[in-house]
Amino acid sequence: MALDELKGPVVLDIPADPASMFIVRALVGTVSERIGFGREECGRLVLAVDEACTNVIRHAYKHRENERIILTFLINLDYFQVDIRDFGPAADPACFVSRELEDVRPGGLGIHFIKSAFDRTEYSVPEDGGMLLRLVKYRAKEETGQE
Amino acid sequence: MKSQVTEKKKGIFLLALEGDLDMSSSPQVRSALLPLFRESPSHIIVDLSRVPYIDSSGIATFVEGLQFSRKSNVRFTLAGATPTVESIFDLAYLKGVFEMVPDADRLLDGE
Repeated sequence: MALDELKGPVVLDIPADPASMFIVRALVGTVSERIGFGREECGRLVLAVDEACTNVIRHAYKHRENERIILTFLINLDYFQVDIRDFGPAADPACFVSRELEDVRPGGLGIHFIKSAFDRTEYSVPEDGGMLLRLVKYRAKEETGQE
Repeated sequence: MKSQVTEKKKGIFLLALEGDLDMSSSPQVRSALLPLFRESPSHIIVDLSRVPYIDSSGIATFVEGLQFSRKSNVRFTLAGATPTVESIFDLAYLKGVFEMVPDADRLLDGE
């Protein structure tokens, strides 16, 4: 039976280290499966959150050690939400664009993977610095067991 | 990530990978793959049957391999991709760009 909702957010505070990404993938995979998303959708959600975190490591923190990424998961009847918070220098979200997919070259796929998986992607700059990426995936009624 | 290179026949190299191919492991795979192009290969096959997951950095490694293969006229094949990995190539519109076959051993039998 699918999980309908959790009464509060789940917070994961991880080192900004590629080696910790397996923890994020395991959590997103398990949660999205329990929510009732299909196998392919779960795979896309895992990939998208992984890519968002590795973008933080690569671009916001430039692979600096001792930085943190805080992920906050919200599960309710209507949607699955993931907030990805970093504390690097703020950047202009207009610069976050995918490359043309016909142009086959290394790199530039992360944003495409993120936008393909989630229904909404919103960047904001919190008052205390860094960036916040909010990812929202809406749930179909049959996934929540609602009439 | 475990990786092993074997020259199966003269000029035909098999790079077998095991584990998630992500930002932490793709530099290691790149270091295993790109030097093979200096060995005068005719064909490089990457066995992905034990790779349960790949991200954009892993894909970038193979796109780089593909570019090297085109420049040096070397056949470059990805073999045995799991459905999850194959769906990620599909999502990146790259399934038709790479030569992808279901099984490395069967491919080698026909060489």
